Amino acid sequence: MTMKDRVAGLWSGALSPGSLVIALCALVSGVVVLTTPIKREPGLELWMFSPEHALMYEPAAERWESETGTAVHARVFGIPALKRRMMGGFFAGVETSDLIEGERQMIGTAFAGPLDSVGFLDLTDRIEAEGLRDRINPASFTPWMSRGRIFGLPHDVHPVLLGYRADIVEAAGIDMSQIETWDDYERVLAPLMTDDNGDGEPDHYLLSFWENQIDNLEVLLLQGGGSMFDADGRCTLSSDTNAAVLAEILSWCLGDDRFCIEINEWTNTGHAQKIDGLAIGYLMPDWMCGIWLTQIPQLEGKVKLMPLPAFEPGGRRTSVRGGSMMGIPKTSQNIEEAWAFAKELYLSRDLAQELYNKTGIVTPVTELWDDPVFDEPSPYFSGQPTGRLYIEQAPHIPARYASPYYWNGLLALRNAATIVAEQARSRGLSTPEELLPLAKNALVSEQRSVDQLLNRNAFLAEGTP
Amino acid sequence: MSASGTRPARTAALFLAPFFVVFGVFTVYPLVLSAILAVQQTHGPEHATFVGLDNFKALLGDPDFRKAVRNTIVYTLGSVFIQLPIALGLAMLLNQPGLKGRGIYRLIFFSPQLMGLVFVAMLAALVFEGRTGLLNVALENTLGRVIQPGDLLFWIPALEGVRWQMFPWLQTFIMPMLIVASLWMYVGYNMVYFLAALQNIDKSLVEACAVDGAGPIRRFWNVTVPSIRPVGSFVVLLSIIGSLQLFELPYIILEQSGGPQNRGLTIVMYLYQSGFESGDLGYASAIGWVLALMLIALALGQIWIMRREER
Repeated sequence: MTMKDRVAGLWSGALSPGSLVIALCALVSGVVVLTTPIKREPGLELWMFSPEHALMYEPAAERWESETGTAVHARVFGIPALKRRMMGGFFAGVETSDLIEGERQMIGTAFAGPLDSVGFLDLTDRIEAEGLRDRINPASFTPWMSRGRIFGLPHDVHPVLLGYRADIVEAAGIDMSQIETWDDYERVLAPLMTDDNGDGEPDHYLLSFWENQIDNLEVLLLQGGGSMFDADGRCTLSSDTNAAVLAEILSWCLGDDRFCIEINEWTNTGHAQKIDGLAIGYLMPDWMCGIWLTQIPQLEGKVKLMPLPAFEPGGRRTSVRGGSMMGIPKTSQNIEEAWAFAKELYLSRDLAQELYNKTGIVTPVTELWDDPVFDEPSPYFSGQPTGRLYIEQAPHIPARYASPYYWNGLLALRNAATIVAEQARSRGLSTPEELLPLAKNALVSEQRSVDQLLNRNAFLAEGTP
Repeated sequence: MSASGTRPARTAALFLAPFFVVFGVFTVYPLVLSAILAVQQTHGPEHATFVGLDNFKALLGDPDFRKAVRNTIVYTLGSVFIQLPIALGLAMLLNQPGLKGRGIYRLIFFSPQLMGLVFVAMLAALVFEGRTGLLNVALENTLGRVIQPGDLLFWIPALEGVRWQMFPWLQTFIMPMLIVASLWMYVGYNMVYFLAALQNIDKSLVEACAVDGAGPIRRFWNVTVPSIRPVGSFVVLLSIIGSLQLFELPYIILEQSGGPQNRGLTIVMYLYQSGFESGDLGYASAIGWVLALMLIALALGQIWIMRREER
């Protein structure tokens, strides 16, 4: 029997028609997949996480195409999807996109390996050579730096101010200008914590903050002079400053005289509680103004902004929350065009004005801070020039240093906070002095877990300054 | 060897080849690679450093891993000792002779399985949420505004006088909440197995036992349990393996973290965090191998127990 006969026998006898169809489908689809070339549209590809940013960049992208002939294709992903695609591309060394606009919580992972394996192009020399270091708010660079090198162009500053229910405060005849510190804040606003509706709970709490609010914990920690990582990437969670700040802010959530309440920042229920005035004050980064404007229109004309009360007289009156950057993957085939477009987006006056008008975000480019757009009164914030208020505090935001274990650090901070709060509740403790040793112990214990991650990483030590 | 002797062997090899190719590519190769990764520290596939058994040593001293193991064991015990008895009880209720609408009940109990784990997790998060959760609102409306003597949680000293609406279930009782959420999902699923086993019990055995004067409890232990033992063992093994691989439920309920103080961290969640969030595939592989060894040990233990009982 010839080979041909054997194969024919196999087809006709051994395989059923169904098996033949499946085998044929597999064969055809395999051939199609293997022979179809990967189509890449000509121009720049931009991956990003924010649909709002994508809409905002559309006119600039069209203008860029008409001026340079290079089209820009923006693709929006959820943050986890964007992080997975980005890291998958970086790990495998394959082409991803020409530009990635990343958010702070997703970028740190890119810095976990040896410095030369970071998937983003090192922009340090370009930024220095083009004088951008002096044109951009210095603290806006630090989240995008690893081992002294800059891997992203900063998109924002994100200072934090205190948003408060001016209608309630002014109706009670309270003068907010007397407030300089958090102690003043508690004392001056204390008359608002009455139970007029008789439900056994104060009608208003003074601040929306709780021990499990991971982002707000970091905001207050940074304002109080604390940090999670230093410039060399070492974990500083157990520092005395952090312990003191943690003890102080947790005392606001404990005891019969607690003045904080947990209000969800994103849900309809949380928005309803804000409208009801359950809390008077809110920690408001600039981007949160845009969100309130669109999601809680009922509060128009009822809210005002002021610098954060300081932890001590003369102390810092702001903090920082969130942040984005534009990075160029090393595998981009259009690095120079990508760099030019990134600068066009992030450094232009038109985009800075649009960014502020649509989202409330102030640009990190210091030479644009004198733009009149930032002085326009905001009807939502009772006629205040919100842009100017944020810009006044922008130079004072604390520096935040990047770490591949940034998220682990945040979780460790929250763990410490919840441990201290639980221990305090079970023992009936509530003053900062009583909480300080608990805070120190919890932070030391939590730092161990972050240190363990850092110490196990053999790559980070290489090239550490 | 003659030509006629080699032909069947070649044909057999030809037919077996697809299996071996698929098995080799998707099982053997990843297993070997993960064993190699487990003795390396990695940053993606490009950068790897040989670290010997350091990953395993680090696991032994890793408090988060210990917490993940403890949580996973608690959940597994909950699955076996709470979920399965409830499933068996429901199956016995549905197996009552003359019960009308058995099919409808079976569909109702099984239906959470049709929704999928993600939706169950999202609904559970809404139910157990602190200030606005359905459970707390219901407790406040039925038991009163604050936790008082005689209430469910009054034995926790710090909770006296706390508002029901403020009780943080997902911070304080994460593992019990996960077990409750999984009851909803899996009780009906396991009930179907038990019901099928109960319906296959030889009725003459039950009748003979009753004629001999045995009551319901004696009939259960002497007839029902031995008859459904093979299915029961299979369900127990499936539950243990499934519980040890717990991931989606806490991942969604706790918003992609292990929850406060990692109280809801499980072994597979920790593996995922290490490998795909921290990028340390070596450490993740070591966790995977420890989990695999635990599963093998449990499966072997159960086989040993079953064989001993059979003898």
